Amino acid sequence: MTPTLDNAKAIAYKKALSECIDAEKLKFCFECGICTACCPMAELLGEGYNPRNLLERIFINMEEALASEELWLCAWCYRCYRHCPQALKLPEIFLHIRRLAVKHGYKQPFENAVKKIVTAVPLSLVAIIACFHPERARLDLNKILDYAEQLRKEFLNERPWKTEPIKGKVAVIGSGPSGLTVAYELALKGCEVTVFEALEEPGGMLRKCLPVHRLPREFLDKDLQVLDALGVKIKTGVTVGKNIDFDSLWNEGFKAIFIGVGAHKGQELKIEGENLEGVFHALDFLWTVNSGREIDLKGKKVAVVGGGNVAVDSARTAIKLGADEATIFYRRSREEMPANPWEVKEAEDEGVKVELLVSPKRILGRNGWVSAVEFVRMRLDDLDETGRRRPIPIDGSEFVKESDLVVLAIGEAPDLQFLPKEIELKEDGTIWVNPLTMETTLKGVFAGGDTVTGPATIIEAIHSGKIAATSIECYLKASGGK
Amino acid sequence: MAKEDIRIGVYVCHCGLNIAGSVDCEEVAKFAAKLPNVVLARDYRYTCSDQGQELIKKDIKEFRLNRVVVASCTPRLHEPTFRRVCEEAGLNKYLFEMANIREQCSWVHLNDRKAATEKAKDLVKMAVAKAALLEPAEEIEVPIIRKALVIGGGVAGIQAALDLADTGYKVYLVEKEPSIGGMMARIDKTFPTMDCSICILAPKMSDVGRHPNIELLTNSEVVDVKGYIGNFRVKVLKKPRYVKEDCSACGECSKVCPMIAPNEFDAGLALRHAVYTPFAQAVPSTYIIDMNLCLNKDGIMVCEKCIKACERQAIDFTMKPETIELEVGTIIVATGADVFDPSTLPQYGYGRYLNVITSLEFERLINAGGPSGGRLIRPSDLKIPKRVAFIQCVGSRSSKTGRTYCSNVCCMNTIKDSLLIKEHWPETEIYVFYVDIRAYGKGFEDLYKRAKNEGVKFIRGLPAEIFEDRKTRNLWLIGENTLLKEPYKMSFDLVVLSVGLEPRKDAELIQRLLTLSRTQDGFFMEAHPKLRPVDAATGGIFFAGCAEAPKDIKDSVTQASAAAARAGILMAKGKVTVEAITPILDLEKCKACGLCVKVCPYNAITLNKELKRVEIVEAACGGCGTCAAECPSDALTQNHFTDEQIIAQIDAVTGQDADKKIVAFCCNWCAYAGADFAGVSRMQYPHNVRIIRTMCSGRVAPKFVERAFARGAAAVLVAGCHPGDCHYINANYHTQRRVERLWKKMEQNGLNKERLQLLWVSAAEGERFASKIYEMQRIVESVTPDEIERAKKVFAKAGGA
Repeated sequence: MTPTLDNAKAIAYKKALSECIDAEKLKFCFECGICTACCPMAELLGEGYNPRNLLERIFINMEEALASEELWLCAWCYRCYRHCPQALKLPEIFLHIRRLAVKHGYKQPFENAVKKIVTAVPLSLVAIIACFHPERARLDLNKILDYAEQLRKEFLNERPWKTEPIKGKVAVIGSGPSGLTVAYELALKGCEVTVFEALEEPGGMLRKCLPVHRLPREFLDKDLQVLDALGVKIKTGVTVGKNIDFDSLWNEGFKAIFIGVGAHKGQELKIEGENLEGVFHALDFLWTVNSGREIDLKGKKVAVVGGGNVAVDSARTAIKLGADEATIFYRRSREEMPANPWEVKEAEDEGVKVELLVSPKRILGRNGWVSAVEFVRMRLDDLDETGRRRPIPIDGSEFVKESDLVVLAIGEAPDLQFLPKEIELKEDGTIWVNPLTMETTLKGVFAGGDTVTGPATIIEAIHSGKIAATSIECYLKASGGK
Repeated sequence: MAKEDIRIGVYVCHCGLNIAGSVDCEEVAKFAAKLPNVVLARDYRYTCSDQGQELIKKDIKEFRLNRVVVASCTPRLHEPTFRRVCEEAGLNKYLFEMANIREQCSWVHLNDRKAATEKAKDLVKMAVAKAALLEPAEEIEVPIIRKALVIGGGVAGIQAALDLADTGYKVYLVEKEPSIGGMMARIDKTFPTMDCSICILAPKMSDVGRHPNIELLTNSEVVDVKGYIGNFRVKVLKKPRYVKEDCSACGECSKVCPMIAPNEFDAGLALRHAVYTPFAQAVPSTYIIDMNLCLNKDGIMVCEKCIKACERQAIDFTMKPETIELEVGTIIVATGADVFDPSTLPQYGYGRYLNVITSLEFERLINAGGPSGGRLIRPSDLKIPKRVAFIQCVGSRSSKTGRTYCSNVCCMNTIKDSLLIKEHWPETEIYVFYVDIRAYGKGFEDLYKRAKNEGVKFIRGLPAEIFEDRKTRNLWLIGENTLLKEPYKMSFDLVVLSVGLEPRKDAELIQRLLTLSRTQDGFFMEAHPKLRPVDAATGGIFFAGCAEAPKDIKDSVTQASAAAARAGILMAKGKVTVEAITPILDLEKCKACGLCVKVCPYNAITLNKELKRVEIVEAACGGCGTCAAECPSDALTQNHFTDEQIIAQIDAVTGQDADKKIVAFCCNWCAYAGADFAGVSRMQYPHNVRIIRTMCSGRVAPKFVERAFARGAAAVLVAGCHPGDCHYINANYHTQRRVERLWKKMEQNGLNKERLQLLWVSAAEGERFASKIYEMQRIVESVTPDEIERAKKVFAKAGGA
């Protein structure tokens, strides 16, 4: 039964609700269930997390919502927002209520949430830092990470080390979040897993491109240590398709293969001046920064072209390296930016500028180095097949922006030349998989993460890895490890 | 001319507690009694009641009142009521004025009785000041042409045309497709009776074709409308069919035509030839040639197959488009609605996955006269599906698609569709994924129960995404069953998207032609949602069918008959009186500069160069007052909204505490109605705004704004219809011009131009109006006394009169 609240609390709750639900435009939830259906955390936790239900409880009984651990389980992937018919920004609504909970002293629910995260989400420390963001609700991140580590130790100690070990070796190509998840889940069940990683250090995008301020590498290493302790073999410096053939994996005795190579091929803009010095593809730029090279951008103007998370990361990195100006140039409007809206906000708070409805026409240079970019203003036409409005250049609206460094972040695609022909790809170049089993069109070969979805978030990669791991387990059991 | 003694009677209405709950009516009445020219002031509980009306009539006779002011609800509601009361007591109806102390006072200032009462006093003061200057006026009568135009030949247009024609009026029915019938001709069965749609429609279509009073103009479009109620001059473009009426519809020409294209009637699922008839029961049955497809499209006779095949020699490639001019007294808009295109929802895969179809495509597939002969087949392999899913609310009830309304018919349509499938293939598994099932009408709930009884499963929870199985082309629906709180991942052979209705793509065109308003949803706006549901705000124009809002066939037919009846009232009367708010011309001051001619949206003013003056055609005048605001020589003013009357209102507002007030000029049709809507919705906003009503924002002359500032007003708001939605076609364009010039003047004189605000707000945007007042309140609070004085000096010469 709803207890009667004192007046001050009731007013505070009402104010919080009206601030985060777009009450003026009557964007109210009509309980269609779409958010829960597409939420990776809902699937990872099953009955333990239902965002639709949580939102309903916030409306009906705020105290119950504040005391619920579910409030802390949203991993900020914004899939709900992109699918919601009312375009409700659930992560931001939950953040509002989280802050209210912290203000009113509800700490225990969060601790319960950490327990759930540690048991259900592989790569827990990485996930807490880069997906759950407890610091946004003004909690102490370091304390939480210590607590999580401790809980994980307990969890791994308590459970039976190996139940009935699954027969059959599994090869995982790519040590990004999806590959590592598959390895972790299968290793927990006693399966022999070998991960093949092309770079010298494991982690995929987590190691290569995620800015250090978004994920301090020590926690990635801590999560990797867990895999090591479970017996997962990670072979770095091995590129499948170059150092070793895809087909030869079968000969080496692997019974199932998981492809988690991510999407690392930066799209090209195909405009004049793209090959000038000082023009980088975003992934190369981020990798260079993360590989320890000292880069000083003091006094420089940086132009970042694109509107996704990679663009935002690049711009924020540029500011941290001392750039005078870092501007994101995106060809559509703010609502259509694929980047995490909260991170765009954080970027702007850090000094990143965002220019909308502009597209680069050509890159100008002096003596082989980039000096400026010529942009043309865009207007939005009717909706195209992706459901977004098509940008059309406005003739005669060209303008020139001085730039010392240009970073192109207009999309990434997976590099899948090494795959056998039997593995069918979708029109956009990503691997087609059965959505329930994550199996490709080649028997025994599974795939997940950015390789299947195109560039997406860490939690989505972890989620697809978990589904694939369950599938692989069933597959191995059914085939008897042959 | 000796001015008679002005004797004003003031009635302050309690309206039960609607006004008295937040305004001290007794105090206001006492205040009114002391105003100049007021001989009687009363407060009364329900002034619009019979007793209230009788009291006013009694007072007019007993106290020899020659002006009456009622302070109560919005004039948009009861001005006609009280005007009638005055007339019945022998007083000219134009000697009556209202003060809006309900929608624009008591309802929006519920929590500050003192402030609300002070505002009510001000509003009464304004009304009394204007009343003292009112003059009696006679309305001119304009004859009504006893012919009607119906735009749109769907079931609503057909019904309206038949009703009017049966009453005895001549009706022109204009339809842009080659045949009448609209949406209803394409449906298989109708809910809830499961009647065959075309079977019940075809006889009506036939009646239209044969009716002596109906002139059917198909393949035609309305391209221009001029005039006013009772006297519309309409230009209709008859596009050529290239087939004469001699056509016997034998179909031999189609058989030999080499060109094919998707058939629009079958939602693109079947093919037709360049020479074709849209469907078997088409009225008129004459065939038509699609010149964009025909090989002879460049004017050179390349192919003569159809000419040779036609026994009646009915093919005629020399036909040209023809423009016809019609004169009608009333117009009924029955242009229908379009269907939402789900290809903009990428997660459902429409257009990429073969076996995801819309409800309209389903309708054509299951129709025995359709492309598959009534067999519901999967597009990918032409097999009958064993598992079918219906997804509801596609495109409707969603902020994301911009269509936040419910499309009314989709729930029942799906229920009907599921029963149709069960009728033919009872073993089919059918799932309906919904958020709410709306089965509100007569017989609807029974049909819903029947569907459940037949084993149709209703799952509450829309799919988030649809995936396709590449081999089988089956579809996986991923969603949450919200009632069981369980996720579902189900496979289906065929998915039907229950798409909603949306306004026609050319709704804007019709809107401009007829000066109609549209609501937020984009459908046409009725004059009053409860009391005048088929009238357009523009006189003489009525709505029928989905043009006004999504609805089913029964409601469309009902509304069509209603519209016909309303149009019939006008035409039966044979004449209409034009409101006496036409311009008054002072010949001596007129310098024949012609500026008023340029701004009149109705071309109701002409320049007579020889006589060096302008001439006004009163019958054509729309009553906007833009001419009066434009005249630089003060030669034009508007009856019942004269310069003196408006300035008297401004002076009344700014008599006291002007530096705390906002003087707002609101146009009758949009801004004033929007403020009323804020009141009806009880939206609260700051109390220091005083609204002066004009018919159009185009009436607001720069000198009015200047007068307000010269008298020390803190801020001025000029509010009108959105550009393109102006009730007087485009008069608000001139408002924009004038305000921009005033801004420039303010800037040049070092004044804060934020003190003058321009707001476009529609009748449905009460919240927008309220927000603006909040915004302006902040400006009022920040204006310094110094600024006020400076503005007074700058505009000191303003106003005159």
